[in-house]
Amino acid sequence: MTTHDDPPPPSQELPAAGAATVATRPSSAPSPQRSGERTATAQGAPRDSEVATPASAWRLGFRTFTENHLATAGLVLLVLLVLFSFVGPLFYHTNQVASSLISQNLPPSGSHLLGTSPEGRDELGRLMLGGQSTIEVGLGVGVLATLFGLVYGALSGFVGGILDAVMMRVVDALLSIPYLFFVVLLAALTRPNLLLVIVVLSAVSWLSTARLVRGETLSLRTRDYVTASQGFGSRAHQVIARHITPNLLGVVVVNGTLKVADAILAFASIAYLGLGPPPPATNWGELLSAGINNLFDGYWWQLWPAGLLIVVTVLAVNVIGDGLSDVVEIRLQKR
Amino acid sequence: MTGFVVRRFGQAVVVMIIVSIVIFGILHALPGGLVRAQLGPRATAFSVHELTIQEGLNKPIVVQYGIWAWHALQGRLGFSYKLNESVGALLSQYLPRDLLLVGISLLLAIAIAVPLGLWQGYRRNRPDDHALSALMLVFYSMPSFLLGVILIVVLNIWVDVLPSTATNFGTGLGTDISVLALPVFALCLGNVSYFSRYMRSSTVDNLLSDHVRTALAKGASPRRLLLRHVLRNSLTSTVTLIGLTLPYVLSGSLIIEALFNYPGMGLLFWNAAQDRDFPVLLGVVLVVTVATVVGNLLADLGYAALDPRIRYK
Amino acid sequence: MKQRILDVEHLRTEFHLRSVNVAAVDDVSLTIDQGECVGLVGESGCGKSTTGLSIMRLLPRSGHVTSGRVLLDGRDLVPLSEAEMRQVRGRAVSMIFQDPMTSLNPTMTIGAQVAEPLVIHFGSSKKAALDRTLETLHLVGIPNPRERVDDYPHQLSGGLRQRVMIATALAAEPKLLIADEPTTALDVTIQAQILDLLDRLREELSMAVLLITHDMGVIAGRTDRVMVMYAGKMVEAATTDELFAATRHPYAEALLQSIPQLTQDASARLPSIPGHPPDLSRLPPGCRFAPRCRYASPACVEEPPLEEAAAGHLVACFHPVGVLPGSGAAAAWSAPGAPSGIPEPPLPPATTPLEPSGAPSRDGDPMPPDAATRRLALAAAPVLVEVDHLVKEYPVRGGGMRRRVGSVKAVSDVSFGIRRGETFGLVGESGCGKSTLGRMVAALERPTSGTVRLGGDELLRLRGADLRRRRRELQLMFQDPYASLDPRMRVGSILREPLVVQGVGDRRQQWETVASLLDEVGLSRRAVDLYPHEFSGGQRQRIGLARALTLNPRLVVADEPVSALDVSIQSQILNLMKALQRNHGLTYLVISHDLAVLRYLSDTIGVMYLGKMVELGAADDIYARPAHPYTHGLIQAIPVPDPSIEKAKRSAAVRGELPSAVNPPSGCRFRTRCPLAQEICAEEEPPLRGFGPGHVAACHFPLLSPSADQQAGGAPVVSVTSEPAPGAS
Repeated sequence: MTTHDDPPPPSQELPAAGAATVATRPSSAPSPQRSGERTATAQGAPRDSEVATPASAWRLGFRTFTENHLATAGLVLLVLLVLFSFVGPLFYHTNQVASSLISQNLPPSGSHLLGTSPEGRDELGRLMLGGQSTIEVGLGVGVLATLFGLVYGALSGFVGGILDAVMMRVVDALLSIPYLFFVVLLAALTRPNLLLVIVVLSAVSWLSTARLVRGETLSLRTRDYVTASQGFGSRAHQVIARHITPNLLGVVVVNGTLKVADAILAFASIAYLGLGPPPPATNWGELLSAGINNLFDGYWWQLWPAGLLIVVTVLAVNVIGDGLSDVVEIRLQKR
Repeated sequence: MTGFVVRRFGQAVVVMIIVSIVIFGILHALPGGLVRAQLGPRATAFSVHELTIQEGLNKPIVVQYGIWAWHALQGRLGFSYKLNESVGALLSQYLPRDLLLVGISLLLAIAIAVPLGLWQGYRRNRPDDHALSALMLVFYSMPSFLLGVILIVVLNIWVDVLPSTATNFGTGLGTDISVLALPVFALCLGNVSYFSRYMRSSTVDNLLSDHVRTALAKGASPRRLLLRHVLRNSLTSTVTLIGLTLPYVLSGSLIIEALFNYPGMGLLFWNAAQDRDFPVLLGVVLVVTVATVVGNLLADLGYAALDPRIRYK
Repeated sequence: MKQRILDVEHLRTEFHLRSVNVAAVDDVSLTIDQGECVGLVGESGCGKSTTGLSIMRLLPRSGHVTSGRVLLDGRDLVPLSEAEMRQVRGRAVSMIFQDPMTSLNPTMTIGAQVAEPLVIHFGSSKKAALDRTLETLHLVGIPNPRERVDDYPHQLSGGLRQRVMIATALAAEPKLLIADEPTTALDVTIQAQILDLLDRLREELSMAVLLITHDMGVIAGRTDRVMVMYAGKMVEAATTDELFAATRHPYAEALLQSIPQLTQDASARLPSIPGHPPDLSRLPPGCRFAPRCRYASPACVEEPPLEEAAAGHLVACFHPVGVLPGSGAAAAWSAPGAPSGIPEPPLPPATTPLEPSGAPSRDGDPMPPDAATRRLALAAAPVLVEVDHLVKEYPVRGGGMRRRVGSVKAVSDVSFGIRRGETFGLVGESGCGKSTLGRMVAALERPTSGTVRLGGDELLRLRGADLRRRRRELQLMFQDPYASLDPRMRVGSILREPLVVQGVGDRRQQWETVASLLDEVGLSRRAVDLYPHEFSGGQRQRIGLARALTLNPRLVVADEPVSALDVSIQSQILNLMKALQRNHGLTYLVISHDLAVLRYLSDTIGVMYLGKMVELGAADDIYARPAHPYTHGLIQAIPVPDPSIEKAKRSAAVRGELPSAVNPPSGCRFRTRCPLAQEICAEEEPPLRGFGPGHVAACHFPLLSPSADQQAGGAPVVSVTSEPAPGAS
């Protein structure tokens, strides 16, 4: 442990974000010769079909992804959910601005396919509207947190030394503040809107990405091909651009996908605590929360559809992440 | 080992210092600053002035931080005018209930997840493993309050065996157990899904490792393999993970307490957020963070104790 | 006749890969008698390890024995239930594996691990198990077993760990021991010790041993009989003496020829096998070796049966060596895959441009014309690299405050010179500091003190752009062909990168350079559009070499350039390196643990031990007349593929294990393991003394008498002797 500066290995795996998911799958095809011998295929010459196609790496990735049927199903499901939320309202017109006292809590009927909300708005229309903001928050946080975590982690890992130590202690510190408490505190300080929610969730979500990226960068930095590149005179930025970043991408994309899932869950939690953007804006978490308030009245249409949509969306994103991690792992195996 | 412990302890202290600076920064950024935050918006200019002098808030910011940190160390975290009680007193009243809820559910989660993950790893890619993995993935993809609601619907509305709220916690051992059951269960299931996923993958890694092959070559039975060769090695990494999960568990408790009206720190915090009762908010954040840091420290020490490579260094 | 322990009949093991079934072991039969050691030899992927695992029924989940019988003492293991099989494993048959670092459980004491088979099979009491454990640990040569028994594996050195590994296998006194590459992860001096131990134990316990290895030298010295495998098939089986004296199968013959030997004439080309082993999921019809075989004929599209060529000598070939007139010594290498009807391996006819039309065989052919002239030319060449009193120490930090508690003395006061066009070989065991030295010469690491000059300039004195520009003059070649190429870049971009970084030429010129380099290293130009993972290890090493040459460097530092490769591929790369040196006037610094490889490649060899250069001289001198006992021991420890030499060796020449570089022994660092050490060795550090032209060694009791006129001190710039060294060829 003399040279070990950090908490033991698995700390690179981030709790809710699921670097653990990356490690979840055993290598899908255990190599036949375990005792240090390479697999039969690794030794063979490339297949002729691949020789002529320059995009073979992408193809290989795509093939690996689609071999994971669950992940493919997740992708299809996610596309459907996006269509439901963003294209649905074009075909299913509802008034989502005005509340109506006479049509409160109506059960499903011909005019309101999924009944109405406690404010008398059409529930199906609300679910579409809520889907928009939920998906926007998920993707927004996924992108923002990943980008920031990538830059921060890569910088820390590549520069190393004292800067690395300081940057990582800051991450440690912020990671020790339970995220929901932090988010609630920030939400209490300001009036929430969608953009702010994205920023606040990103502010707690980038930390684990930064840690993961730093660990990967540290290991990439000592690879032979990086040494070779420095050996013929590459500058630091050239090494980062040519070798470090492209090799980080796989892991980062997987991590970013899981971040989307986490962000959707966290957004639902914030909304449940009543700290989401105020009505008439809505989101699935808030709808679910309204359903919970009427739990004992038997208004099932206010509760289960919203809950189901959240679970299905998060599930879809998670299995997509698993599929992507297969792709990354296959490439690692071929390395 | 001593070197490891000392260094790890040092890290924890550094982390706490950074956290305290962050919290102090937020406090400072509050409208009206520290004094208003303590006295509330309706305080008179005179009392504001008096407290400013008394707390040394007219001094340079570094000194202010020193004073605040010193007070915080002594447990003096300010006064809640909303609840008309000192924050320290509030916390000492609410904190044990949290330790109870979080502690029980964490222990339960470990007790379920470790054997489950071990079993799944052993049966990897067989139908029962796939079924369990799918179930765990569903739990994993569910907001914790939805999980709680499902439990309420099943165990309270359909089969009325357990109460749906925990408001009357503290009225006796019998009620306490029945009242705690649903929150503990709701909080625990989410963690089970997370821990068991990790335990499973760690088990798989270990089962494919060379030393397990050696054990097989000695004629070890599956039972011996799992209990003697895999369990401990997989636990070492899982223990660290549990430590790192603490902030998420505590976050989960905030939601669960709000759902079940369990009178713990989470509920206190939530109410304080709605009332913008800043002394309470910051005090709670400080306490849960200390809890996390201490938990992390304990987890790493547990890791060191389990892994002879660190123990004998 | 001795009792038959193992009888494997027509074993076939298949793996279910994603879409295909692959037979990793195809119709393999072998027998082992009591007290006998049978060798199973072949390159990676040939199925030798799978055979061992099939006997133990320890195959990974995707693998199954699909036919054949495995008779142990007459009892067939194949149909046994898993529970019955557990009774067999560890009791009747034991197995040890390659890597002692990972094959022991890191969280169990070694005592518990050795005792485990006793507990499992005999239900021994704690006391009985402990007694037997101590006895076994003593048997395998663990010093002070009583003190060691509660240690954890990470507290032991690699050699001791492998001894513990052997102890776990022997605790229950099995009848058969399967040793799967037991010494591949160890240094040669330790390898010799472990192999001696296995020999001794086999005799004492009259155990049957199946020794699986890729190393013909290990086979030669340690086995009674040998089976050679290729692509899942048994191709030849004979007694060890017979196999080496009268090799019949062309593969076995070519394999033996392509191993660089210490007695090798360094100026002759190393015969090599073109191409690489087939992909098991797409095998050629008929003989699997035919596409690479120099004797292949149209008949080889049929599968040759394994037949008795002489008494007890089985061979599977239609054209066994030494039987057909016109084969053997006189034969020329045919172009790979030439016979019609035999599909050529799909990607590049890698070696075609480089394979000579008439490679000299082992016994024929006098020294090619350039050998003597090369020596003369080198002696006159200017010095390119000067290493002067180089020191590198790494701080060791410990305790709570991470203060400095000591330092690893990686390189301690090393001086030498490399002439232009010369190949300088640096040899030593792992941890001797050779790689650190290489990195300092390559200007990748700053020395603690001392200097490295390239063409008279100290590169690390330069800064920024100047340093980066000068870096083109020295390039690197790496050990691991999988890690040295960026997996996300196409080969074209990989090769162009140095040119882009250094701003050499325009786009078109850069691509022309890349194309001509690919031609030169024997790869198809189509390679530019492919990714590294689409190439085999040997091909990747070619790409690595091409990349090192793009900038036309003066010096190439090659760290273990062939040690990750199979023998048949290794010789291709060694030949290529030599050819490129001739064509480009390159200077090489080659770092290797393998003295035989260096002997073939180098003009001058430096021997390092624990951070010190202990001997330095012309390659021939170092081999033929070593002055330092360590050099001698190293040469002795290398297994030679010749049973008569190998079996005459008594025992491991170097005792014990490498001491810590944090607290190296006082005086001569080698004294703790030296058979000749006396008191003075602990008190005084021996100076470098001359033993002939350019030959120096640091020893108080050298194996040669030092030459009086030569006093080597300070920084000896070694000149290569102009006389051909006697006894070299």
